[in-house]
Amino acid sequence: MMALIIPAIFIAVMACAVYKKVNVYGCFTGGIEGAFKFVLSMLPCLAAVFMMCALFEESGLADMLIKFTSPAFSFLGIPEELTKLILIKPLSGSGSLAYLTEIIQDYGADSYVARCACVCYGSSETVFYISAVYFAGIKAKGLARPIVLSLLSALFATAAACLICRVM
Amino acid sequence: MNGVFTAIFIISAVLLCFAAPEKFLTALMDGARTAAAVCLTLFCVYAVWMGLAAVAEECGITRGAAKLLRPACRKIFKTDSDAACEAAAMNLACDLLGAGASTPFAVKAIGEWEKEKNGYAQKLLFVINAAGFQIVPSTVIALRAGAGSAAAADIFLPSLICSAISLVLSVTAFAVSERICRAWRGRKKKRKRGGA
Repeated sequence: MMALIIPAIFIAVMACAVYKKVNVYGCFTGGIEGAFKFVLSMLPCLAAVFMMCALFEESGLADMLIKFTSPAFSFLGIPEELTKLILIKPLSGSGSLAYLTEIIQDYGADSYVARCACVCYGSSETVFYISAVYFAGIKAKGLARPIVLSLLSALFATAAACLICRVM
Repeated sequence: MNGVFTAIFIISAVLLCFAAPEKFLTALMDGARTAAAVCLTLFCVYAVWMGLAAVAEECGITRGAAKLLRPACRKIFKTDSDAACEAAAMNLACDLLGAGASTPFAVKAIGEWEKEKNGYAQKLLFVINAAGFQIVPSTVIALRAGAGSAAAADIFLPSLICSAISLVLSVTAFAVSERICRAWRGRKKKRKRGGA
């Protein structure tokens, strides 16, 4: 059922385009050109962020932070196994996806830890990453406040996720 | 971002000097390689959705949708820019569907708001996106199904509840903090005026 929605959207748009006699091929390639330019404009930001992530992990700073913060997380009712996922998620989507896969494989897809991890992953975003991309060409001031607020509410939602997973 | 980047970079680099200095360059280049790989993946996703969006735009579908959403959009983001509203609506629609192409539209909306110097709307859109609200967490469900879960989709409801909590919390916190800041700034100005 869910799988049908996306093809249906495409078909509806294409049908509408035919009805309105729009040059579908021209528009479609135009859109792709936009996508290409956009990805190119994003590449410098992404390269810098991913370099930082690689250093962050390779240097052992990530592990130190994990050791340092996991007591605080377990105080909030968050299993220690999730610390790494929670710390990496704001930085890198692909990195956290790799950890999520690891957790699911290590603990089994239906275990409490894996279910928690899935909910955390599904209900949070790569905050630093999107702030880097969104505000790349913008001279906005006072970005620290929205970023901190987003991170805090993500943490709160994670604690809630662990609670809900225990019940549901 | 500048502060976070510089701090993490320097601390990590110093630590790495003690642990394994020969890994420094390889780590950096691995990072760049990941970035290139991610860009390639993103291009594939964006090409599909932005291609479709361009067709929809030419048909007037997005304009129609934006017209419907304009009053709500003006109120929420305190803006007059229709182009920004259109892009923001597309961005949120992509978020909800989990279509993965929300970022280009967000960047477009933020660019439009830059023209009218609407920092409030820019940050609000960021906060909404940062909450990661999604109706169906399709990636996670697919991953669990692949790992042999008995009921891969049973995290659907907890996910929905949690992302709703996160969204409501962060937007409320942002709105409240914005109000506090403005009140504070206003008082400062008044004091200055009173002093002069």
